[in-house]
Amino acid sequence: MLPWLVTIWLFGIGLYGIITSRNYIHLVGCLSVCQSGSYVLLLGIGFKWQAGPPIFYDHPPGTPAVDPVMQALVLTDIVVGAAVTALLLAIAIQVHKRRGTLDPQHLRPLRPDT
Amino acid sequence: MSPAARRVIFLFALVIMAPAARLVAHSMPTFGAATSRYASTVNELAPRLRHVSNMVAAVNFDIRGFDTLAEETMLLCAVVGAVILLRGSRGERDSDKAGVLPGRADIARSDATTLVCRVGGTALLLFGAYVALHGTVTPGGGFQGGVIASSALLLLYLGEGYRCWRNLIHSAVLAAFEGVGALVFVLAAAWPLAQGHPALDNLLPLGKFKDLYSGGAIFLTNCAVGLAVTGSFGQLILEFLEETRSPEDESEPNEADT
Repeated sequence: MLPWLVTIWLFGIGLYGIITSRNYIHLVGCLSVCQSGSYVLLLGIGFKWQAGPPIFYDHPPGTPAVDPVMQALVLTDIVVGAAVTALLLAIAIQVHKRRGTLDPQHLRPLRPDT
Repeated sequence: MSPAARRVIFLFALVIMAPAARLVAHSMPTFGAATSRYASTVNELAPRLRHVSNMVAAVNFDIRGFDTLAEETMLLCAVVGAVILLRGSRGERDSDKAGVLPGRADIARSDATTLVCRVGGTALLLFGAYVALHGTVTPGGGFQGGVIASSALLLLYLGEGYRCWRNLIHSAVLAAFEGVGALVFVLAAAWPLAQGHPALDNLLPLGKFKDLYSGGAIFLTNCAVGLAVTGSFGQLILEFLEETRSPEDESEPNEADT
């Protein structure tokens, strides 16, 4: 029960941060918080009590192990998240260069800057 | 929309979504009692059929290898996008001065920093290569090892300074790493197709269980991903650090002024 609640909490607090953000860098950080909710969810789904890691180096194959598919998914999640964060930060740099501000409040598209 | 209005809408959405979230949290399976048959099948069969001891690598590069190919392509696209966005006049030359905030002290680099960064950077690069190469045996793999290896570039920058760093690290080399890694992955997927097998079929000799070379094509794709991730993240670091240089001439129009 607890991991699912932690997931919801992480997603909610990240979303709150995105909504009230006054700076794009902060907003990207909040997006990462949102995303870490998905790590907790995936790892929570794959977890099994009294089971080792799905790496049969120290213990032989056949011993109980947690779900490797979920761990592979989290790996994918992290890599894609890092790439997307880099892309968003690059956009933030360009926005700051062009408009001189990182406050979403002052960056309304298609409207003159006030 | 004012921040207050946004907060009100958020609260409104929270009130609507909270019961749904509570329902979902209650109907999720019990924590710690995973009963995925797919997972137990992988854990049972992959060591025998593929001679790998790291199940995550087996899932990533063999059983769900096609998904990883897509992910790899996505990583490439995101990095290319970021590089295109950041590429500009600033920072291309190694003589450019760092951007300085007025009033902030400009402290010279100490010898201790250089020493620690040289030792640490080399060790980190080696460790990254180790983690990437042993991806089929122990925890790790191409993605993790690649990120570790590319973060060694940051330590080199910290220890040597921008000019020396730019002479060491060439954008073309990183781009070649990135491209060759992705190309090897694509070829590993396409080669079995040309032989009349399914894509990404494991046709290479499987090697010995718990050996450095184990898993056949898994080892190959794992190394390819390690190379591609090193190149990709190195390229990102390079482009972002170019942004720390003050521009030669501010050629970009400032929309706020016009």
